[in-house]
Amino acid sequence: MLRRMVLSAAAAAAPCLRNAALLGPGALQATRIFHTGQPSLAPVPPLPEYGGKVRLGLIPEEFFQFLYPKTGVTGPYVLGTGLILYSLSKEIYVITAETFSAISTIGLLIYVVKKYGASIGEFADKLSEQKIAQLEEVKQASIQQIQDAIDTEKSQQALVQKRHYLFDVQRNNIAMALELTYRERLHRVYREVKNRLDYHISVQNMMRRKEQEHMINWVEKHVVQSISAQQEKETIAKCIADLKLLAKKAQSQPVL
Amino acid sequence: MNENLFASFAAPSMMGLPIVVLIVMFPSILFPTPSRLINNRLISIQQWLIQLTSKQMLAIHNQKGRTWALMLMSLILFIGSTNLLGLLPHSFTPTTQLSMNLGMAIPLWAGTVVTGFRYKTKASLAHFLPQGTPLPLIPILVVIETISLFIQPMALAVRLTANITAGHLLIHLIGGATLALINISATTAFITFIILILLTILEFAVALIQAYVFTLLVSLYLHDNT
Repeated sequence: MLRRMVLSAAAAAAPCLRNAALLGPGALQATRIFHTGQPSLAPVPPLPEYGGKVRLGLIPEEFFQFLYPKTGVTGPYVLGTGLILYSLSKEIYVITAETFSAISTIGLLIYVVKKYGASIGEFADKLSEQKIAQLEEVKQASIQQIQDAIDTEKSQQALVQKRHYLFDVQRNNIAMALELTYRERLHRVYREVKNRLDYHISVQNMMRRKEQEHMINWVEKHVVQSISAQQEKETIAKCIADLKLLAKKAQSQPVL
Repeated sequence: MNENLFASFAAPSMMGLPIVVLIVMFPSILFPTPSRLINNRLISIQQWLIQLTSKQMLAIHNQKGRTWALMLMSLILFIGSTNLLGLLPHSFTPTTQLSMNLGMAIPLWAGTVVTGFRYKTKASLAHFLPQGTPLPLIPILVVIETISLFIQPMALAVRLTANITAGHLLIHLIGGATLALINISATTAFITFIILILLTILEFAVALIQAYVFTLLVSLYLHDNT
C-alpha cells in the first residue's frame, strides 16, 4: 500500500512519471515476491513417541537434573518435604473435610492408573494398529490386483508371439483340403472320359460281332444251299471207300 | 473449615470477577481434536469411546432424529466431564447449580416438543392420551398427561442437580466426620475413611451415570417426537 502511495505521489509531483503510475499496479504486483520462505506446515514433523520422563507422575526429570549439581540426589525430595511441612505447619494449607475427600479421590485415581494404566495404553495402541492394518490391507490388495493385471498382460503378450503355430496348422489343413478336392475331381474327370471311350469301344465290338455272325450265317446258308443231292451221294460213296482203305491199312499194321 | 457446608457450591469468583464461565469452558480443553490419521493414545481412546457411545445412543433414532447426534454427544461429554472434574478436591462443579441445569434441560426438551408438534402434530397430540383408556377417564387423563409433559424439563434439571449436589455434600460430611473422629478414636475414623472411599467410588459411577441418564432421556423425548 505504501508503494502505491509513493508511486501516486511521484506521479503527482512529476507529470512525466504519470505513465509510470498508470503502469503502477502491474509493476507493484510484479515486484511483490511470493513463496520465498520455507513452507511452514509441510512436512509435518512426527510426534514424539513417548512423553517426557517424570518422577512421581508430576515433576519432570529435568528439575531433578537441574538441582543435582548443587544439592545431589536427595535435594528435590528434601525441598518437597520441606515445602509440604511448611505449608501444613503455618496453616497455609488447612486440613479440612476436603482433605480427606482429596486423599480418597486422589488415592483412588493413583490406584486405578497404576493398575490399569498399561493395559489401557496397550488397548489404545491396538486401536491404532488395527487402523493401520486395515489401510495396509487395502494398499496390499490394490498392489496385488495391479500385479495380477500385469502378469495377465504379460502372458497375453507371450501368447501373441506363439500365434503363428496356430496359423501354420490352419494353413496346412487348408492346403491338404484343397489338394484332396483337386485329386478327387481329377479322378472323376478320368472316370467320365473312360466311360465315354468304353462306350464307343463296346459299340464297335458289338458291330463287328454282329457283322461276323451275319457273314457266317450267310456263308453257311449258301454252302448248304449249294450242296445238291447228287453231290451228296458221291461224297458219301467216296468217304466210305476211303474208310475201307484206311481200315485195311490199320489191320495190316500191328498194334504197338 | 469452610464457613458453612454450602460454601463450596457458591458461584466462584476471583477478586470479584465471576470466573464461572471459565470453569464451564474448561472441560472442552481436555478433549483434543484429532489432527492426524493415527493419533496419540488419548485421542484414540476418545475417538473409540465417542464412536461406541454414539452408535449405541443413535441406534433407535430414524433419519430425522439422527440430526441431533452432535447435540446429544456434546451433552453427554459435557455433563460427564464436568461431573468427573467436580470430584477433584477444591473444585467447583457447574452442574450443581440448578440454574445451569435448567438452562440445559428446558431448551432441549422444548426443542423436542416443538419438533414433534411441527412435523407430526396429530401424533404429538395423541401422546396425551394413552391407548385403551375407558371413556369417562379421558378428561382427567389428558390433564395428567399434560402435567407430566411439563414436568419433564424440571425433572431433568432437578434430577441432575440433586444427585450431584447430594453426592458432594455426603463426601464433605463424611470427610468432616473422619476429621472429627481422628482425635476421638482412630479406629472409627479409619472405618469412616473406608466409607469415604466407597462413597468416592459411587460418586465416580454416579457422575457418569447421571450424564448418561440425562442424555438418554433427551434422546427418548426426541424419539417420541420424530
